[in-house]
Amino acid sequence: MMPDQSNPAAPILSVNTLKMHFPVSGGILRRTKGKIYAVDGISFTVKKGDTMGLVGESGCGKTTAGRTILRLYKPTSGDVIFEGKNLSRLPKEDLRKTRQHMQMIFQDPFESLNARQTILEILEEPFIIHNIGSPQERSVAVFKLLEKVGLPKSAAGLFPHEFSGGQRQRIGIARAIALNPRMIVCDEPVSALDVSIQSQILNLLLDLQKDMGLTYVFISHDLAVVKHMSDTIAVMYLGKIVEHADADLIYRNPLHPYTKALISAIPVPDPAFKRKRIILSGDVPSPASPPEGCRFHTRCPITIDRCRIEEPELTAHNENPNHLVACHRSSENPERL
Amino acid sequence: MKITPVTLKKIKRFQSIKRGYYSLIIIATFIILSLFAEVFINSRALIVKYNGSYYFPTYRAMIPGNVFDLGYDYETNYRALQKQFENDPSGNFVLMPLIPYNPFENDLREDTYPPFPPSLLEKHYLGTDTIGRDIAARLTYGFRIAIFFSLALLAITYGIGISLGCLMGYLGGRFDLFFQRIIEIWTNVPVLFVIIIISSIIVPNPVILLLIMAFFGWTSITWIMRTMTYKEKAREYILASKALGATDVRIIFKHIIPNTIAIIVTFAPFTIASGIVALTSLDYLGFGLPAPTPSWGDLLQQGWSNMDALWIAGSVIGALIVTLLTVTFVGEAVREAFDPKMYTIYE
Repeated sequence: MMPDQSNPAAPILSVNTLKMHFPVSGGILRRTKGKIYAVDGISFTVKKGDTMGLVGESGCGKTTAGRTILRLYKPTSGDVIFEGKNLSRLPKEDLRKTRQHMQMIFQDPFESLNARQTILEILEEPFIIHNIGSPQERSVAVFKLLEKVGLPKSAAGLFPHEFSGGQRQRIGIARAIALNPRMIVCDEPVSALDVSIQSQILNLLLDLQKDMGLTYVFISHDLAVVKHMSDTIAVMYLGKIVEHADADLIYRNPLHPYTKALISAIPVPDPAFKRKRIILSGDVPSPASPPEGCRFHTRCPITIDRCRIEEPELTAHNENPNHLVACHRSSENPERL
Repeated sequence: MKITPVTLKKIKRFQSIKRGYYSLIIIATFIILSLFAEVFINSRALIVKYNGSYYFPTYRAMIPGNVFDLGYDYETNYRALQKQFENDPSGNFVLMPLIPYNPFENDLREDTYPPFPPSLLEKHYLGTDTIGRDIAARLTYGFRIAIFFSLALLAITYGIGISLGCLMGYLGGRFDLFFQRIIEIWTNVPVLFVIIIISSIIVPNPVILLLIMAFFGWTSITWIMRTMTYKEKAREYILASKALGATDVRIIFKHIIPNTIAIIVTFAPFTIASGIVALTSLDYLGFGLPAPTPSWGDLLQQGWSNMDALWIAGSVIGALIVTLLTVTFVGEAVREAFDPKMYTIYE
């Protein structure tokens, strides 16, 4: 069934030049007037049991990337290969069946639960959709799920609005793990929560990963959170991955000027600590008309003429083949930059 | 299915809006009573006792006069029979309904012309119309026709509107585009003229009239449903359901319709009121239901052309005001009770 089981290091997910462009239409005939290049050719692989962090500013295409990976959007081009199956080409019914192995945790726990259903109905839904178990077995399964995410059994009869944000996110997590998936895309699962609740939810996610052998794609704009969770980190900017490497490597030795700027912005709990903050000027350009050449050149502190013309590829850095970066100047002596 | 606490709150809130709540009780009572109008307003007797046996003519086939040895084969005239039995020592009797007239019969007299003014003695409590039919009877039976006509119209237009609107919103794309343009064309058709033209070619029976009005009446609710579906479809819980592998049918029936129906319900009372008004105005113009059918529009027309017989116009206008007011009050209360602003919690 699972072709890669013998080799634990084999990728469970590989994404090849995935593009998701949304058409912008207008006029009485709704002709396509332009495109939003939300995700514009991203490639990466995730090993089984790993967590890949996907970070970037708001509007850089992280969420779209996550949803396109799960084939909630039909990609414009490119392939998503999950456990050897190409999701872009899978027939509708096969795709529907495959969905039980890959799940999603949503950002907003207020929006992602149907307000008219009880928790029992919400958590039962995955089983009903995939025709698993009798009604009695289902409610037993729901109680087990509630226990797993640290909610009391009595929660089953209540409605979403009777819970706090953190509790609702636990319900969202319970729904995602209901069918024992192998991969979960976590789309900013803690950014809508209070800081005090965030760590509880993150630890719950880590515990579940250990217990169930889950693979996570962890999307966040919060670098501290991503650092806590991830094995590898990919940094996105305007629909492209600009740097991808092991988590500690990217924090220790960021190569792309954008990554450097992001990392310099992480607060350090030490008032005596002094460091150089890199302040990026300007806003992210519109994804409807991304700049020519390197997409970051409009805000980059080290732009050269080449950046305005030629788009850098995501390639292995000459010092470490596992450190991928898309910058023309990444090989230069960092002291000079 | 459990009633959600939100729904419960809405019901409680509706009950707390006294004007709407009592209006609902009043209009519901009217509707239920009108269902059994034959018991209260009828030319047939409720009970006849004749030679030791009892007869209940209200809901059965007509009883010819010969059964009571009256010497004729057509339906018994119970009012005459009652008079005949009044001085009968043998214990025979006739119990007549509150208003002993049906809405079709002409109660004519030898020495004068209708309309007759209200009279307690004759049991024409609201008088008669220009051809001697009892106004109270015609109002009641007319109300029954109008309200059930409106309810049927509501059911048909909502049926079409909800399914088509939901599909337009859910499928989007060309399907949506196509029906949007159709609706735009449809709403620009002058409905009243079309009905008048059709009515002048064929005499419409209630079913045909209903179909014609439904044919042009489905657009507004479709529009609303389409917008609601678009809004609901974009929410994350739908995406979550999709991520779980739910089919489109399941998403529509389990998620979208339960979440939009609450809004649709708030429009229903107003639709009923407008249905009554539409039917009445068509009848008034003479293009509605065919002639002997009891109708408010017909009475209104008679009242207008016989202003000296004020009881005709007075009764029908009074009845219209009470009905439309109560239905509208119910609608307002429902709308207020369902106002989402009352329940949204910003945290």
